[in-house]
Amino acid sequence: MSQFMELLISGLSLGCIYALIAMGFVVVFKATNVVNFAHASVVMLGAYLVARWHGSLGFFGAVAVAAVCCAIVAALCDIVLVRALRRRRGSEEVLAILTIAINIVLGTALAREVGTDLLPSGAPWKSDVTHVLGVTVPQTRIAAAVVALVLMGLFWLAFTRSDWGVAMRSAASDPEAAALSGIRLGRVAAGAWALAGALAAIGGAFFTSFPAAGVNNTTGLLALTAIPAAVLGGLDSTAGAVVGGLTIGVATTLAAGYQDEIAFLGRGLSEVVPYIVLLLVLLWRPSGVFGTREVTRV
Amino acid sequence: MTSTEVQDHPAEPAGALLDVRDLHVSYGGVSALRGVSLSVPEGEIVAMLGSNGAGKTTLLRALSGTLAMQGGTIDSGTVELKGRSLAGLDPAVIVREGVVQAPEGRRIFGELTVDENLRAGAFGRGRREGRAEAFARVYELFPQLQERRGQQGGLLSGGEQQMLAIGRALMAEPKVLLLDEPSLGLAPQVLEKIGEIIQLINRQGTSIVLVEQNAGIALKIADRATVLEVGQVTLEGSSAELSESDEVRERYLGLGRGPQIGKVEVVTPVTGRRSALPLTVEDLTVRFGGLTALSEVSFTVEPDSTHAVIGPNGAGKSTLLNVLTGVYRATKGRARYGDAVLTDLRSPRIAALGVSRTFQNLALSPTSTVAQNLLLGRHRLTKAGFVSAGLRLPAARREQAEQERVVAGIAEVLGLSDHLGVPLTSLAYGDRKRVELARALCAEPSLLLLDEPVAGMNSEESQQMARMIAQVRETLGISIVLVEHDMAFVMGLADRVTVLDFGLCIADGMPDEVQRDPEVLKAYLGSTEGSEEEVGEEIGEAGP
Amino acid sequence: MSDRRRLIMRLAAGALVLLLLWLPQYVEAFWLQTGLFAMSAAIGAIGLQLLVGVTGQLSLAHAFYVAVGAYGYCFLAGGEKLGGGLDSPAGAQLPPWLAMILAVLLAGALGALFSPIAGRLRGIYLGLASIGLVFIGQHVLFNAKGITGGFNGRDAEPFSLFGFSFSDTNPDSFAVFGVPYGGLERLWYLGLVLLAIAWWYGRNVAQSRPGRAMQTIRDSEIAAAVMGVNVPTYRAAAFTVSSMYAGLAGVLLALAFAHVVPASFGFLLSINFLVMIVVGGLGSIGGAVAGALLVSALPQLLDHYSGSLPLVGAPGGEGLQPADASNFIYGAAVIAVLIFAPGGLSGLGRRITGRRRVTPSSINPEPKESTT
Repeated sequence: MSQFMELLISGLSLGCIYALIAMGFVVVFKATNVVNFAHASVVMLGAYLVARWHGSLGFFGAVAVAAVCCAIVAALCDIVLVRALRRRRGSEEVLAILTIAINIVLGTALAREVGTDLLPSGAPWKSDVTHVLGVTVPQTRIAAAVVALVLMGLFWLAFTRSDWGVAMRSAASDPEAAALSGIRLGRVAAGAWALAGALAAIGGAFFTSFPAAGVNNTTGLLALTAIPAAVLGGLDSTAGAVVGGLTIGVATTLAAGYQDEIAFLGRGLSEVVPYIVLLLVLLWRPSGVFGTREVTRV
Repeated sequence: MTSTEVQDHPAEPAGALLDVRDLHVSYGGVSALRGVSLSVPEGEIVAMLGSNGAGKTTLLRALSGTLAMQGGTIDSGTVELKGRSLAGLDPAVIVREGVVQAPEGRRIFGELTVDENLRAGAFGRGRREGRAEAFARVYELFPQLQERRGQQGGLLSGGEQQMLAIGRALMAEPKVLLLDEPSLGLAPQVLEKIGEIIQLINRQGTSIVLVEQNAGIALKIADRATVLEVGQVTLEGSSAELSESDEVRERYLGLGRGPQIGKVEVVTPVTGRRSALPLTVEDLTVRFGGLTALSEVSFTVEPDSTHAVIGPNGAGKSTLLNVLTGVYRATKGRARYGDAVLTDLRSPRIAALGVSRTFQNLALSPTSTVAQNLLLGRHRLTKAGFVSAGLRLPAARREQAEQERVVAGIAEVLGLSDHLGVPLTSLAYGDRKRVELARALCAEPSLLLLDEPVAGMNSEESQQMARMIAQVRETLGISIVLVEHDMAFVMGLADRVTVLDFGLCIADGMPDEVQRDPEVLKAYLGSTEGSEEEVGEEIGEAGP
Repeated sequence: MSDRRRLIMRLAAGALVLLLLWLPQYVEAFWLQTGLFAMSAAIGAIGLQLLVGVTGQLSLAHAFYVAVGAYGYCFLAGGEKLGGGLDSPAGAQLPPWLAMILAVLLAGALGALFSPIAGRLRGIYLGLASIGLVFIGQHVLFNAKGITGGFNGRDAEPFSLFGFSFSDTNPDSFAVFGVPYGGLERLWYLGLVLLAIAWWYGRNVAQSRPGRAMQTIRDSEIAAAVMGVNVPTYRAAAFTVSSMYAGLAGVLLALAFAHVVPASFGFLLSINFLVMIVVGGLGSIGGAVAGALLVSALPQLLDHYSGSLPLVGAPGGEGLQPADASNFIYGAAVIAVLIFAPGGLSGLGRRITGRRRVTPSSINPEPKESTT
């Protein structure tokens, strides 16, 4: 039983990281209706920058600077590329293909940079653990959970109370009406992408910290798992991103933890579990758990 | 301008505040506005009238800078606010300049509260000071909104949503307020209230451009009016002049003579005569969430007759067609075609019964040729599948040749023979509507449902379409259900007319009965006692 | 198109066919294998085009079905015991031509199985769910060692028809015009035949009744239903046909390389196919083939000529790797095509030949709202 508790808590803490990454994904979708596959590469970019700079800037410094850099990179993707395709009135499938292409370019560049190295993220808690409820939890994970919860809380406050939140929600609800109200859609979009970039960087830094070994050339592919997390919660639901992230975190950790018991299902099942869960959830709720069902009016 | 001061109209004519000159707008090569000019003097209310598809919303989009979002472009002409050009500016910048629109269909942010909706509107101010005063002004104009500050916009009634939309626009303190069909789907009492408020806003110093289909209400409160027809200005003058004008009455108040159809040539049909069955609609009710689109509508369409369904925008006409063709589910009640219960069936099964339709917004394949679009209409009558068509078996090849012949025949009847090999995108709007009709005919229906077949057409094209529909009816012997907004068009063609308003059936009978029905007149014209009398006089003179 | 233009086009096409038939006489093994790889890609691309470009269903599961075809063939045709204590994966030991047909049918069956799931999912959710199939598939390939050979994969039984083997043996020396034709040369013609059939069938479907129904589903699903098209059935058919194409591509792939490994059937392969049809021009069968040729040949070319190309380093060595360089080029090409030339290669081709056609710039344009 205690193994289960340990795995559960570990899974929840991993889930917080996934939730953070998934949230960035959902914010972009809500604000601009784009499924952003490039998000995975931005996560890797953030993790990579932290791994490179933690020596000179310290971990927190590196995370802060990486967040800013990723925010800029993401915003540029929107301003330069997505908007150009928008002007040609591309559908959401075509926009998704564009982000896949961006992901290819960015991902390849990063994989090249990293090469065969394994770069630790330099989190200050190293491999220290604490005991919570009789269960061993890595301190990095606690930090990750705290950071994730604080950020999500701040985001929620801003989203529901601030003027910026009103602008975002209006743009998500009805872009043309929002433009007619004087909301600058371009700024809202760039802001959403920038926010997603920052969240990706922070998520990426924790994602590659203990107990993960660090950044290597498969990090981009692993970061792709945030997408099932976002989808199963409902692409346009920030609450869904949290639920999805936690679910995927728990499922992955349990699958890895009980590896031996379910060895007949194959090794490496924990990497596939997110997609299995995704398929099952979509079978049950085709628009994700909290996603809005599309109603086409003719 | 403070919220409590009321200013009178300036005695001498002011210079034009908003000036549109010779504007040409197109959507992907299809011309929507042709040389439209409009001038809005400071402090006045200018009404813009015209039927569906005339280009009114397009003009507002050009003013507000949202054309690009809909794939439109300004080809030539100028749009100026006090001498400064607005063309090509970001919509948010135009709002800051002082031109603010309350769009058609209200379009308030349903998930946001009333207060948040107004906050969104405040983005148009460009500066933070005065926000509190702006809120105060809006809540003073619309006390109901203040009561419901914390409620979600989507839960408000239609009238309250319209007030919220106007309030949201006012938050930006516009110099010119553009109102797109504020009367849409509103009850007459609410309409009067909104009309008064619009006048009050105007007296407080805001110029207003009022786009309306409901000519009665618009002419009552406006100082001047312009009439748009298929992208061109056909009439303009002071509202007093225009309400007297016969032309306006004929065209937009639905009186006067209908289309001249004359003798119809009965052509031997390429496809045989069909035997239609009666269509019975019984207590049909459709609800979407909190909105009731249709409420206990009942009527019968006799075989081989033409039955028109008319009503103001938002009355539920398209919803009716959508339920009949299986696109929407009915909440209560049913519709039967002969013995088959349409409301229990899915769209392809309904099509198999011989029911075919056109769409108001055209649902054709833009990248295919006209011929390919028409061939799709033959789908339910043909069989070639992945095996026979993929392998080009002789049966499939024969079928294809046969179908091409049939399609060519139908195309000829509708005057589309020259366009068969042409991609749809290179056709003009009127031609595309004919392709839509042709495709529906290719399915050899015994019941044909037409959704606003002449929206966006000028009177010549409408005449042509009317003749074609009559010819189709005579030649093929099918039942036709005709949904239209243009009353005059309908009167010439229909055997019976059903009138919808707010999802309710308010009249059902022969065309001339319906034309005289006071309920119908109220729905179309608003409750204006004076005009009812005059209208009564006019009807006495007019004939079919 | 004028008669003269038509004549020139016919002559050009004829010349191309002759060239293709003659190639094995002249070129070396590397080119033959690249060509076979390209043919396999083209067959797969046609299938994906029918699903994505014509019917408007965004699916990223194509790699999964290619794997089913490839491994299906290996299993059905293979299973001979190797000498000396190596435990080789199991197999059904069926005749290769039967194995090929069954592998394709198996892929189609799995495609049909997925389609009710696909039917419940709208647009982008479908694309996202389909990624799952690829990962799950790869997982099975890595782990079901008894059938798949695990990480190292398994060999493919050479194709043979009526005793004539498409390998270096059986007949041991088979010469045409004095040039010895080994396995690759023989497979070349098999590949050409398969590609020709695939292209012919694909065009027939796209231009006839089923193709029209599929396009209408893409352009306006509601209109399709109202006009009598059974949308769920056609979607299922599109998935089935598309996965059969993928299966066939897999079989040819297995034959061309005589060996299959799980690593080749990952998410990246699905992306590659998507790149092929976008670059080729969404909706065009010919474009899919052109895109496939470009995308499949590029990494091989860069690899082969890495010595003489600026910037590109030798594989495994210093400098920009050929694989990375191709990825950069793909990514950039897709971005460029989407933004500047949505017609892709087929759009360019039409401009040259003067034919008029509009390529969909969107996969699934939504019907506009009604105002009534």
